[in-house]
Amino acid sequence: MKDLLEEIVDEGLKAGASFCEARFFEERGNRISVENGVAKALGFGIVRGVGVRVIVDGRWGFASTNVLTRRSLKEALADAVGAAKSLAKRHGEEAEIIDVKPAVDTVHHKVRVNPEDVSPEEKVKAMLEIEKAARVFSERVKDTFVSYRDVSTKVIVCNSLGTLVEETTPRIHVHCTVISKRGGNMQVGFESIGNVSGYELVERIHPEEFSGRAAEKAVRLLDANPPPRGIYTVVTDPKVGGLFVHEAFGHNCEGDLVFGGQSIVSDRMGKRVASDMVSIIDDPTQLRNGHYVYDHEGVRAKKHIIVKDGVLVSFLHSLESAAKMGCEPQGSARAQSHHHPPIVRMSNTYFAPGDMTLEEILEDIKLGVYLSGSQYGYVETQKGQFTCKVEQAWLIEKGELTVHLRDVAINGATLEALKNVTAVGKDLKIEMPGICGKSGQGIYVDAGAPHMRFEGIVVGGRK
Amino acid sequence: MTERIDLATPAEKAARLLSAMNMDFFDVYVVYSRSLSIGVLGRGIRDAKSRIDLGLGVRAYKNRGLGVAFSQSLEPEDVEETVDRAVRFARAAQPDPYFKGIPGPSKAEDVPGLCDKEIICLTLEEAGELVKRMIDAAEEVRHGAMYRGGMTVGYSRSYLLTSTGVSIEMEKTSVSAFIEPTYRRGDDVGSSYEYDYAVSLAEIDFEAIGRKAAEKALEQFGSRRVKSGTLPIILTPDSTSSFISGLMLAISGESAVKKRTFASRFLGKQIAPQILEIVDDGTIPGAVASSPYDGEGVPRRLTKVVGEGRILTFLHNSYSAGIAGVETTGHARRDYRGYVGAGPTNVRVKPGDSSLEEMISETRKGVLVTNASLIPNMVSGEFSSTIDEGFLIEGGEKKHPVKNLMVGGRILEMYRNIELISKEGRTIGKGFFFPSIKISRVKLAGG
Repeated sequence: MKDLLEEIVDEGLKAGASFCEARFFEERGNRISVENGVAKALGFGIVRGVGVRVIVDGRWGFASTNVLTRRSLKEALADAVGAAKSLAKRHGEEAEIIDVKPAVDTVHHKVRVNPEDVSPEEKVKAMLEIEKAARVFSERVKDTFVSYRDVSTKVIVCNSLGTLVEETTPRIHVHCTVISKRGGNMQVGFESIGNVSGYELVERIHPEEFSGRAAEKAVRLLDANPPPRGIYTVVTDPKVGGLFVHEAFGHNCEGDLVFGGQSIVSDRMGKRVASDMVSIIDDPTQLRNGHYVYDHEGVRAKKHIIVKDGVLVSFLHSLESAAKMGCEPQGSARAQSHHHPPIVRMSNTYFAPGDMTLEEILEDIKLGVYLSGSQYGYVETQKGQFTCKVEQAWLIEKGELTVHLRDVAINGATLEALKNVTAVGKDLKIEMPGICGKSGQGIYVDAGAPHMRFEGIVVGGRK
Repeated sequence: MTERIDLATPAEKAARLLSAMNMDFFDVYVVYSRSLSIGVLGRGIRDAKSRIDLGLGVRAYKNRGLGVAFSQSLEPEDVEETVDRAVRFARAAQPDPYFKGIPGPSKAEDVPGLCDKEIICLTLEEAGELVKRMIDAAEEVRHGAMYRGGMTVGYSRSYLLTSTGVSIEMEKTSVSAFIEPTYRRGDDVGSSYEYDYAVSLAEIDFEAIGRKAAEKALEQFGSRRVKSGTLPIILTPDSTSSFISGLMLAISGESAVKKRTFASRFLGKQIAPQILEIVDDGTIPGAVASSPYDGEGVPRRLTKVVGEGRILTFLHNSYSAGIAGVETTGHARRDYRGYVGAGPTNVRVKPGDSSLEEMISETRKGVLVTNASLIPNMVSGEFSSTIDEGFLIEGGEKKHPVKNLMVGGRILEMYRNIELISKEGRTIGKGFFFPSIKISRVKLAGG
């Protein structure tokens, strides 16, 4: 395959491209779905193909195909060149990339137990054990679901800068969802675990702790109250903090959105954007779900400090955004598959830890809301308005957690919220393995934070 | 932009292999698709893309256990591995007590107008020109925005083959366009978006999309916080679409019949005033969500989902219909990755007798919601969402845009509190229709 990719890149240059990249992508994966004690479906899939990206006459062209013959790849190259040429006379964003030292490397992430060496029957047995711990937790448990996924992703990047990098990454994800019921009241609780890992990740799961925790949440939420509405001091747990740092702030620091005029911090480099207690880091070198060694442009990944002591110090960059903004490339470009061009993505994003305990963070709050667990979040980067939906919450009264709350969401202006951080805990956890969507592409990420205190956040609810 | 890729040969090969494996049921679904797209970022057009996608998916059942496998390669050895995995997995899976079988063949009426030659023949150069028109129209309203958006045209052809004798080939075209201009005035931001999608290129007015997006973006300058309170809200068609789609999801398929959604308990029951009627119709000629057959080869049909405010039926595939003990309603959804779900097609809310203008003028104080995600927690039906774009209404007049305002409550309470439905609304892709809806009281959390 590497020879074929190199041939395509050479032909791209001959066809007039100033830059040409051919990227092979293959993802093989297995799935198991358990529902109420029955492993009712097992699945397998192969995603495989090549994406070709060129710059011709100052315009980007991209084409992809699942058909891996020499002829089909040459047609994809011709389509990509034709696509770029079709835009040559159009007003728009000039395509450019920064010149980087080429990388030639092969990376295989080592695993202790290759999931392909574990039989489907053995995997089913493990998932049934995990599911059972949730099902027997309480009579209030109505439905239990466990989904398992192992996936091996191979990416080969070959480009006209001379880069030829191959990286194969195994990942495992297990997710447990529990629905509880009492009369007409139904609630849901979930837990998930995922990382760059072999099957050993599953062997480390303690069912009572993992799916038992999901069941406990679902059952306890039956007795939770609707949240108060209005502006409150809130304390976020590591998952809510992780959701906030990724959604509300991280997306604003993606270089393509910055040069595309879609970020609220595009003109704030070197300026204060948060309380001086706040530092924000994106680190693909950490062994979490967003880990990789080379990005999908073949640039070696490194740890990025985005905000240091409240001051914006860097953005995340692809080859393109680094060129547009006169910066060093950061190894932050990834693509969902061969059907997508690489775009700037976060990896493992987190608030750096401070030095407070949770008790110290809570102790002087007369009335506030403690937010725990993340459901989903989104941001309108151009406006800087964020929404985060959390799993559960508690009222904080005189420094103590009191009334249990459910269906809580928070909303606010990102920069206002970051300037109003008044406490940062020392208990950093990065435990939010998931897939982040941007521009129609889903990519593996992780996020986290220590416990943190924010003043003046809008809490939505129906009370 | 199409080439005649042979889907029948790999599908039949897979079916032959499966037949020899002594499976109880199986189906094979193969899809070829081709798309062209133009991306917009920053000051204008950024890139052009062409994509060919191909995939073969297999569902195999043994003793009511399901094995699913797919491959993006139709090479003989990959088809063999796909079949082999599906069979192995079906044998390793446990019996699903709810599974009753897959549908047999039945003949659907033709649904005309689902394939547009203009889309099939469109070049990237021509697509670039259409996107330029969209941007130029926005620039004419106000010069100097930064943009995000683009357009995509696509063609797809699918082939379904089942152990029960279904053999169906279908093809379809699609076009979608979207643009989001952002204007800045000091620290103030005016940003909004406009979109459209359809089966045929001729149905999309690119200039109108660009113009409307810019006008809507400029209206967003000067947004202000609104105090918490309980007020009426008026949903314009784009937010009605989100409000209704949450209900449609909650009455679809397995989750609905296994009593896992907030709407599960309300089949046959009144959830809204009698003025609310919703139909789902997958047979509308030339409409975006139409097709002769659903994902299991069952003919599409017109289904009245909500009549006089009452939920009349759930939307079924064969699996959920089997659990409910009814016939499938032809709402199976699938792609080649194998799993089959259920969901709505063209959703149409019956127009009422009010108008958006009347709704606003008769509101002393309230909020006009022009863009919000009103999808609740599917299990509890509770929600808490941000009004992404909206306006305060005071004294019967639309005032300033709102910011950091949230709406929350139980979604079924919102349905009960529907007060007015407009006679005019927005038709999307010849199929969907959403009017404006006034809801008498909703809890709002603001500054």
